[in-house]
Amino acid sequence: MLNALWKTFRSTRVGRSIFRVGLPESNFERAQVAISSFFLHFQPAKVNRRALKFRTTLGLGLISLYLFLILTGTGVLLMFYYVPATDYAYQNMKDLEFVVTAGQVLRNMHRWAAHLMVLFVALHMCRAFYTAAYKPPREFNWVIGVGLFLLTLGLSFTGYLLPWDQLAYWAITVGTSIAGYAPVVGQKLKFLFLGGHVVGESALIRFYVLHVIVLPLAAVLLIGVHLWRVRKDGGLARPDEPVATREDLAVAQLPQTKSYGLMELARGTTPVVGIDPQEEVFTWPNLVFREILLFMATMTVVLVLAIFWNAPLEEIANPVHPPNPAKAPWYFLGLQELVAYSAFWGGVVVPGLLVTALIALPYLDRKRRGVGVWFSGERRVAITIFSLCLSAAIVLTVIGTVFRGPNWAFQLPWKPATPVAEEH
Amino acid sequence: MEPSVRKLYLWFAVLGLLVGILVVTAFYKDQHREWKDWQQRYIKDELARAATPEQRADAARTPLEVRQVVLPDLDRVDRCTSCHVSVEDPSYAGFPLPLAYHPNHDRHPFNKFGCTICHQGQGRATTRVAAHGHVEHWDRPMLDMKYIQSACAKCHLPADMPEAPDLARGRAVFEESGCIGCHKLHGAGGVVGPELDNVGAKRDAAWLLKHFKTPAAVTPGSAMPPIKASDADLSALTLYVLSFTGEALSAYYVSMKTIPGPQAGRRLFAEKGCIGCHAIAGKGGTIGPELDEVAKRHDAQWISSHFKNPAAVTPGTVMPQFNFNEQEIRALTEFLLSLTDTNVIGFMRIPSLMTPLDRGKAVYKKYGCAGCHGADGQGGVPNPNAKTAEQVPGLKMVSEGYSKDELKKRILDGQREIPVMNAKKAPPPLYMPPWRGKIAEGELSDLMEYLVSLAPKGEKVEF
Repeated sequence: MLNALWKTFRSTRVGRSIFRVGLPESNFERAQVAISSFFLHFQPAKVNRRALKFRTTLGLGLISLYLFLILTGTGVLLMFYYVPATDYAYQNMKDLEFVVTAGQVLRNMHRWAAHLMVLFVALHMCRAFYTAAYKPPREFNWVIGVGLFLLTLGLSFTGYLLPWDQLAYWAITVGTSIAGYAPVVGQKLKFLFLGGHVVGESALIRFYVLHVIVLPLAAVLLIGVHLWRVRKDGGLARPDEPVATREDLAVAQLPQTKSYGLMELARGTTPVVGIDPQEEVFTWPNLVFREILLFMATMTVVLVLAIFWNAPLEEIANPVHPPNPAKAPWYFLGLQELVAYSAFWGGVVVPGLLVTALIALPYLDRKRRGVGVWFSGERRVAITIFSLCLSAAIVLTVIGTVFRGPNWAFQLPWKPATPVAEEH
Repeated sequence: MEPSVRKLYLWFAVLGLLVGILVVTAFYKDQHREWKDWQQRYIKDELARAATPEQRADAARTPLEVRQVVLPDLDRVDRCTSCHVSVEDPSYAGFPLPLAYHPNHDRHPFNKFGCTICHQGQGRATTRVAAHGHVEHWDRPMLDMKYIQSACAKCHLPADMPEAPDLARGRAVFEESGCIGCHKLHGAGGVVGPELDNVGAKRDAAWLLKHFKTPAAVTPGSAMPPIKASDADLSALTLYVLSFTGEALSAYYVSMKTIPGPQAGRRLFAEKGCIGCHAIAGKGGTIGPELDEVAKRHDAQWISSHFKNPAAVTPGTVMPQFNFNEQEIRALTEFLLSLTDTNVIGFMRIPSLMTPLDRGKAVYKKYGCAGCHGADGQGGVPNPNAKTAEQVPGLKMVSEGYSKDELKKRILDGQREIPVMNAKKAPPPLYMPPWRGKIAEGELSDLMEYLVSLAPKGEKVEF
């Protein structure tokens, strides 16, 4: 019945004007729908079968994108209530919880999706590394990816301050003081971020504008470029196809009557386009359906988290009562742990080198080996180095998160130190 | 269609159902709020009570909504009435909570005061547990009704509040225990212990009570001597200390503190030198009439118009016109009216009426000397590792060992380093703070009179 309704609507002038193609029934229409729809044209009309396999990417990049969309949606709704002023921000959180329709669940979704996005962008980056997806011609897209990772951290960090509770206030105080350790520019940079020497009204408005305008726009732009380049670089990275032999070419060129659309042109070393059309499937419905399903799965996880766990909200920010220990957001706790050893080396040199190394990676490691293969044996050295750095980052973050108690002293999470009595 | 796509339809069904269920759950959870139950209960009750069709229609029209008192001056939004719907309806007197009527609110109308300014708790919250404040990350849970009088002190002076006897009693215990000797309150007091300006916001009643009984039990290493008082007095002291919230209220509420009461009148009476012409309790000048029982001779109206213009009320009087303002006139009138039913001299505390010895005794109390040196200077307060028998020295014999000038110097300079009994142990925690700049010259002289008087009469002490 739905089908009949849809067909009736499509047959009207209005229906035709909106949906140029309609539900495709022929291969021609399947190609048409991907090409003519704004929302689908980021993808070619046909994709390699590998793209449909979950294990190719584990859906990590797409999940990151979906989380960004969920964050944008919930974030815009939250903006209808939020006032970036120290007198109102915390009260806004209370109003969201107690009187705004669906206010709490929106805030929960936004909070948990933000944490998940940091996690999934990082995982996506690991996937790109372990499948050597940054090899030529995709070097620059990897660099854009690094930019998006930093933007994600920036978005999460700037949003962290907005509830204006103790957690927010002191996490941002600690986080921005790490920036202050940079030589020469550190203090200036910190001042620029905070609009003062301490976190206050001007820091809140700066973080707010960064969080809702500057960083999201930058992210949208970079995400657009990122996706566009994935498509222009011939889709997902995959192992090189065997070089076509003379016979293959002859066979491929034989049926002159059959033409392949421009949209199926993949960049390659040979002009052989249709060497194995069997490996290509139509984006609609094969890929699009799977993408929609992945969105629903992402939404399910975010909703479950948001319904059963409330976003944290501590006491209202109190500049004279620092908690002990004051911790940065979890994704900076590895950094804070390093800073505890040495402010300069841990806070400046190591993170600086790491970001530089990430950006330089595709230009240093450019031999096309193991592309599109998980943990390829041909890349043992690169994989070992990356895994060591990754493990170090995880270990440091875990130590900073659960093994650090008052005064940043080591403690076992199941045996927390007794709170220090206040000085009398 | 390819079979692999057909398989996806099952996934669409499963995930679609899941997302659907979750969205419905989220909305149900959001829409189901406990205050709605209480409002429904209230409406049901109103319907049952309705005698006329109009009343019935009125009750049926009662909207189900969050009710709130917005108090920008107090920086509060109190939504307590979302559950406590009938606080202003006397016909709900004695009803079980939350639908009970709140008696005695005529002088503190809810639309001007809300609820949390007295009761504390979390006004913005709309669930019972969160609103009553017994949740993590909310440090002002509802005040136990036992201590509710502490809230009065936010706007009123304890002495002006006969309705809050515990508050006045707590203040008396506070003064007698000499807390001020070590602790600063509103900028005045010693420096040995921490300031008390907002200790009532930082600590709860249980902590304070325990602290007064055995300070070291809640603050390890505390040198504060336990306060020896009855349980009722300690409870009153707790109540009084809870009132030190350090809250900055807006002008309207703070002005209650200057509402002319007998205390303010007493101060004015002393300042303006009324005692030069008028006598109270047999002391003072004789030019004007005695004032002990002036309230029996005249009413408030007469007294206040007399202050405005004495000659207009009593032609030919020699009393000058003082140009008091309205507030001052009301305060003085209140004071004079209060004289009949009070222990005059005790209440008056007009320095010029007192002997230097009595004034000295008051100074001893004012600066909290008793906190360490004991009531009447008998000592006995422990001070571990002090050379003086591990105690703060008593003051009974002090006039034997020091001249008045030496004593004055000792009080003004204080003594930071206390001689120790055992050099290896930690120095004694209590010490004498300097009082220079805090104590007035006249007060110091009066204090000398008192200290000298402490020596037992008729005994010669041999050293």
